[in-house]
Amino acid sequence: MTSSLLTRSDWLLLIASVALLPWLYGSFWGSTGGMGEEVHIMVDGRELPPISLSKDQTLTIQGSIGPSVLEVANHGIRFISSPCQGKQCIHSGWHTHAGEFAACLPNRVALLITGRESRYDTFNY
Amino acid sequence: MDKTLVATVEDHRIALLAALAITIHIAESALPTPLPGIKPGLANIITIATLCLYGLRTAAWVLMLRVLAGSLLLGTFLSPTFALSFSGAVAALLVLSVARLTPGLGFGAVGYSLLAAMAHMAGQFTVAYWLFIPHPALLQLFPVLMTAAVLFGLVSGIIVATMLKHFR
Repeated sequence: MTSSLLTRSDWLLLIASVALLPWLYGSFWGSTGGMGEEVHIMVDGRELPPISLSKDQTLTIQGSIGPSVLEVANHGIRFISSPCQGKQCIHSGWHTHAGEFAACLPNRVALLITGRESRYDTFNY
Repeated sequence: MDKTLVATVEDHRIALLAALAITIHIAESALPTPLPGIKPGLANIITIATLCLYGLRTAAWVLMLRVLAGSLLLGTFLSPTFALSFSGAVAALLVLSVARLTPGLGFGAVGYSLLAAMAHMAGQFTVAYWLFIPHPALLQLFPVLMTAAVLFGLVSGIIVATMLKHFR
């Protein structure tokens, strides 16, 4: 037995184990919540046909109190203009993950992003 | 047919080592844990020392007796805690058997300890996930738990290696 506490195999195993950890973090923490693929827009309780997030476009949705303008770009969607007072829908920013939900309640426009796996089960404000 | 049970030298040895492991196990259960599932697992020291000194068979006895008697003393026998502890022990034993019986691997105490700690964690995590909490959120804990396993496996391995040096 050498004077060292660790054998050569021990060192190799230790290095392999330590190297395994960043990979574990990467694979278990990185892929949480798939990216969204489609967005479902609901206006005044009616659901519009789903729109793909991969095609960049600007949509104008006629809500109860006026037009809401939505921008689809970089696999995400955001409100860019809305006739409401609070403008919370605009401040909520970009929505890219499956399961994300955004709404302009005064204008009764809501959108839900869907994808293969959802990041959230439910939302509560 | 002879009906008397004769305790061999090995039986006494197993009993002594298992008693040591159980004592450590119970003392450790009194320590608060920062996160469910993370604990130093110092009883691993006895298992690995036994493996290095007396071989796989004795180590297997000591490990399984520790899990069984430890759970009886702590009142967790057949509870979910026991299921996790038991599955971790079985996984550790399987990995240790492979590491021990495959010729030419040349692991020392630290290597065995690391393998046992990681197998224990992975084994009980798998059971926890499939049996008790099959929610994807649990998976996020896995890297953290494995980090703890590598850390504590290394520490107890070094303790065993230091201890064995004094024996030889």
